[in-house]
Amino acid sequence: MRTALRIAVKDLKLRLRDRSALIIGIIAPLSLAFILNLVFGSAFDPTEGLGLEYGVVDLDQSEISMSFTDVLEEVEADGIMELESFPDAQSADAAIEEGVVDSYFLVEPGFGQAVGTNSPATIQVVGSIDSPTSTQIAASIADQFATGFEAAQLAIATTSQVTSTPVTPEFLESLESEPRTAALSYQFGDMSAATRQLDPTTYMAAGMAVFFLFFTVGFGVLGLLEEERQGTLTRLMAAPIARASVVGGKAILSFILGLISMFVLVVATQLLMGAEWGAPLGVALLVVSGVLSAVGIVGLVAGVAKTPEGAENLSSIIAVILGMLGGVFFQVGQSDDLLSKLTFITPHAWFMRGLADLADGASWTAALPATGAMLIFAVVTGAISWFMLMKRLRR
Amino acid sequence: MKALAIGMSNIRRMLRERSNIFFVFIFPLALILLIGSQFGGGVKPAIGLYLADSGELATEISDAVESRESIDSRHFDTEAALITAVERGDVQAGLFLPADIDTATAASDVVELGFVSRLDGTGQQLQAIVGSAVADVMKPVGAAQFAVAESDSDFDAALDVARSVGGQAGGVEVTVTAVGEAIFPDTLGQFDLGASSQLVLFVFLTALAGSAALILTRQLGISSRMLSTPTSVRSIVLGESMGRFGVALVQGLYIVVMTLIIFGVNWGDPLASFLLLVAFSAVGAGAGVLMGSVFSNDQQAGGVGVVLSLGLAALGGCMLPLELFSPTMQTVAHFTPHAWALDGYAELVRRGGNTGDILLELGVLVGYATALFLLASWRLRIAITRP
Repeated sequence: MRTALRIAVKDLKLRLRDRSALIIGIIAPLSLAFILNLVFGSAFDPTEGLGLEYGVVDLDQSEISMSFTDVLEEVEADGIMELESFPDAQSADAAIEEGVVDSYFLVEPGFGQAVGTNSPATIQVVGSIDSPTSTQIAASIADQFATGFEAAQLAIATTSQVTSTPVTPEFLESLESEPRTAALSYQFGDMSAATRQLDPTTYMAAGMAVFFLFFTVGFGVLGLLEEERQGTLTRLMAAPIARASVVGGKAILSFILGLISMFVLVVATQLLMGAEWGAPLGVALLVVSGVLSAVGIVGLVAGVAKTPEGAENLSSIIAVILGMLGGVFFQVGQSDDLLSKLTFITPHAWFMRGLADLADGASWTAALPATGAMLIFAVVTGAISWFMLMKRLRR
Repeated sequence: MKALAIGMSNIRRMLRERSNIFFVFIFPLALILLIGSQFGGGVKPAIGLYLADSGELATEISDAVESRESIDSRHFDTEAALITAVERGDVQAGLFLPADIDTATAASDVVELGFVSRLDGTGQQLQAIVGSAVADVMKPVGAAQFAVAESDSDFDAALDVARSVGGQAGGVEVTVTAVGEAIFPDTLGQFDLGASSQLVLFVFLTALAGSAALILTRQLGISSRMLSTPTSVRSIVLGESMGRFGVALVQGLYIVVMTLIIFGVNWGDPLASFLLLVAFSAVGAGAGVLMGSVFSNDQQAGGVGVVLSLGLAALGGCMLPLELFSPTMQTVAHFTPHAWALDGYAELVRRGGNTGDILLELGVLVGYATALFLLASWRLRIAITRP
């Protein structure tokens, strides 16, 4: 063990002197996380609302059209959207053009009278072609208002048919309850769910950290092949050193390099970019198990490859495929399709999942399932690569 | 002539490396497929549905929610699975339809539907869409309940009446008009956007990665040996540059042809599209040679190359369309050659432009390429003649 540590420390000094490990382990992920956060941060934030901005143009000014505006103001008061009033359609169109509002409601003159006389009445929703969701929400708000009226009208018409009485003022007088109550045949019970999803800043920081981790640990284990080529490995074998110490030394080096890189990245992204990694103990568990799984997988590459270049190329290919599939750049797959299940054959996906489970102030125990999954990766790949590397050294 | 030979040997070296086959030829296509299948149809917010039973009204409500065009809807088998999906953001909100809605409404009970959403995100805003779908279905039910209360008639009969009367009454119609010009027209193919942005990303990435080959050429003393033969410095510099340019062009043409055949990607006017690729390959090659002459450690150059090529690609609009950038970021983006190339492709692919319409973009790219090559040949000349 002491020999293994001594080998690891010697190599660590070498690696720190050569700046490549520093570039791959810290500078690359940090600067990419920063750029990606700059580009994506404001565009797609799953933890933010849509920022709905609507306009209303009431050219009718009747009792009913004003009750519609009241309904809109109630929705605004609920914090669902922001409402702005415009004097005419032209100014509202201009507001859409400038991007001040996404959509506006237009009530033409004669609306109130039409509703009063049961003639066709229309609320127009005009929306920007590039905000379909926002426009549909606006249309749905108007729809619900309209349905309230229609429900009352339908209630009257149905009662009149069922009782075979024509709709006269006397008939309306005779009704025991208010027809509008017909819209109240159901209600919504609202439940709120917790948040187990990362904000874009943390997502990018975590994604880049774990993506480059698989390159960083390569500086350790893959060094074995370098020594093999340079002939220093043969000399090590000639010395009274156990094979296990040599392999162990390289594995420890990989582990330390990975740990340093992750630690610096977690702290730096938290301080510089405002990433929120969650409960420290949970993050530590995820980082340690993530680094171990990376060491195991890169160890497999070292066991299989014939030359140092081959090993480096193969490990880049594996790191890129696993990273892409594991969703370090963007989330792969949707809810329960095949692709979203496939993504969990990568430690990357478990690392991201574990951090998402820690989001919103969850306790460190929330990270345990993902930690467990990554440890399984680590143990299985670690054991196989240990066996392969020990065999390789016997040659 | 010698320059051409040096260039060709560079291309052969690249093709002989097995891992290059993956990064240059396989990976870009796989990524275009992944991005196209993931984002090609646009991204809509999703509503999760859980039906405790498949009663008549529950089915009608779920059909009504599914028919709303601007949202996707997905069914879940258990309540817990739906809540988890909302928590993880797989769906933005969930609608629970309790058992026996039909019996409850017949008994004139008020039905309680569950709506689950997060405090953050868009879930609460989407409740309006779900609410209007539910209101549509429940309208005749409410009318029938009202009629039953007023007349003691049978609920099912009243419901039939309400359904047949529905639509005859005047009512308030809501019409929707979309205005403005769509950023991404409907004619845009599923893979079109991803293909041009990945083309730009990978041509530049490969060109920068090629700097490692140039560093090795210098490290192994091949350049010095070439100099000892009657080969001018100019030929070597030109040859190395042509090698990088050739590699970029080969990859670019490969991506264009393969995506055209496999995914039917529209690349617009062939001549203009080709000129754009040539100009951008030249920019990439210039950057690659510059890196190859400035760095003397290929591992460091590799790391810096990855950061530069992914970073510039992200800033230049290869990962998120430029149209979705804020005005400030759009200005920043146009410091990268990537943004100009993507503007050119947008003009050709989305607006059916030809060479005349992309003269500005071509001009800017040629300017970048010229500046980079001048800088690179000056640096490379120093690097290979330095004793």
